[in-house]
Amino acid sequence: MNPLRLLALPLLVALAGCGFAGRVIGRNITASHEPRRIEHKIRDPRRADARLAVLWIGHATILLQMDDAFILTDPVFTNSVGELSPRLVEPGLDPRDLPPLAAVVISHMHFDHLSYDSLDMIEHKTKIVLLPPGARASVPRYAFESRELDRWESYDADGVRVTAVPVRHVGGRWGIDQTWRTRAFTGYVFEYHGLSVYFGGDTAFDEADFEATRTRFPNLALALLPICPTEPRDFMRHTHMDTLEALDAFSILGAARMVPIHFDTFINSDDKPGDCPRLLREHMRERGLGDDRVTILSIGEQRVLVPK
Amino acid sequence: MLASLTAIRFACAENPTTETARVENPTEAKPVDTPPPSTSPVLAGGIWAIAQLVPAPLLVLSSDHVGGGVRWQITPFVYSFGVAARPVRAFVVDPVARHSGAVELYASPEWVCCAPNDGTGWIARGGARIYLPVVGRGESLTWSLGGSYYRASGGGGASIETGLYVLFGTFGLTVTASPALARREIITALTIRYF
Repeated sequence: MNPLRLLALPLLVALAGCGFAGRVIGRNITASHEPRRIEHKIRDPRRADARLAVLWIGHATILLQMDDAFILTDPVFTNSVGELSPRLVEPGLDPRDLPPLAAVVISHMHFDHLSYDSLDMIEHKTKIVLLPPGARASVPRYAFESRELDRWESYDADGVRVTAVPVRHVGGRWGIDQTWRTRAFTGYVFEYHGLSVYFGGDTAFDEADFEATRTRFPNLALALLPICPTEPRDFMRHTHMDTLEALDAFSILGAARMVPIHFDTFINSDDKPGDCPRLLREHMRERGLGDDRVTILSIGEQRVLVPK
Repeated sequence: MLASLTAIRFACAENPTTETARVENPTEAKPVDTPPPSTSPVLAGGIWAIAQLVPAPLLVLSSDHVGGGVRWQITPFVYSFGVAARPVRAFVVDPVARHSGAVELYASPEWVCCAPNDGTGWIARGGARIYLPVVGRGESLTWSLGGSYYRASGGGGASIETGLYVLFGTFGLTVTASPALARREIITALTIRYF
């Protein structure tokens, strides 16, 4: 066991009466330290047959291929986040196997989305990391440029356009800083060669935000939407969509396809591994949505969504 | 945290469908996105101030003496050479600004007590400290080295100190040596610092 996790035992004792927080810390401390291995991991993620391809590396980390451009979202390749939360499944791609990236985006400051060690691993794979407003002051200095994008602001380079779009979450990293860091979270839309892709990062359900994005980006080919954590719902609903809300968001965004993210990689709720994709499949059946509309990937799986 | 969460409007959709949600003509319908939540400076300042009140427990050692105590710290100036932006901070200091590499000026009131045959006493200390990241950009392990000038009931003097910090700097162990501070030559502190 990571000795740092032992340090959390007093915290666990202190939070034992606090219900949810104590349960989550307890599950993390007692979780297996070795992440599940992935068989037949992809070594070369470049797909010559794809206009649009998605590789789920785990949690909110997606390698997106849009023709010859590659974008990486919320890179987390470490075996734990926040020192205490072990990874349940190893990353679906070795960071050394990443192709040169047109951009890396960070949706918000939480440890499972902004990982300093992971940025070290990809430091020379990208020239730019895009951040939500107010985040740069809490990001270490790296070889790449880091730039904040305010809501609806865009970054353009070599035909790739990345636009920050509104979502609803919290902006802190260490807990109490979310009281004063109220804007450091965002979603993004990526555009390249006529394709556009939505990345929700980590968001609660906000009809107004999704509609506003749809208005500005009416032809989304794909929406990458978080479906977890969901429980306890009264707590999570302010910052996270559940599976049904994710399908509602997909509908409002009007995207052609959806790939769910942000599940079964770390323990950050009362949900058990497998709960969220199972619920999503149930809701898909109720709504008549098949794999051609909502594609549930396994960690390490790559899918061509728009072939050449 | 809860106040900021409750300040966020939660717009629960009543099962929107593709048809009702679809914007047929974007030029006619211009939905407005939800503005980011605002914060109350008083609330934010109050929460930060409460965090500063958490004391660091002390173990006070000399050749014939073991005692205890508590220490607080405020940080009026930090220059961080580890962050990408805003290297100068005052009072409110992100853990990464401090532990990714920084120089800080600090002030520390200390209250020592609890030793047999000894009274309680206050020590006022002002000093400078450098933090150097060791593992994980300082989030996993940081080392510090510093010096300070103290004033106590018996007079003033100089101290040197070193420390190690883990878990984003939240927990640390520092050792302060003050050769001229009678009966308090070595002070070991379990630092608990949150911003």
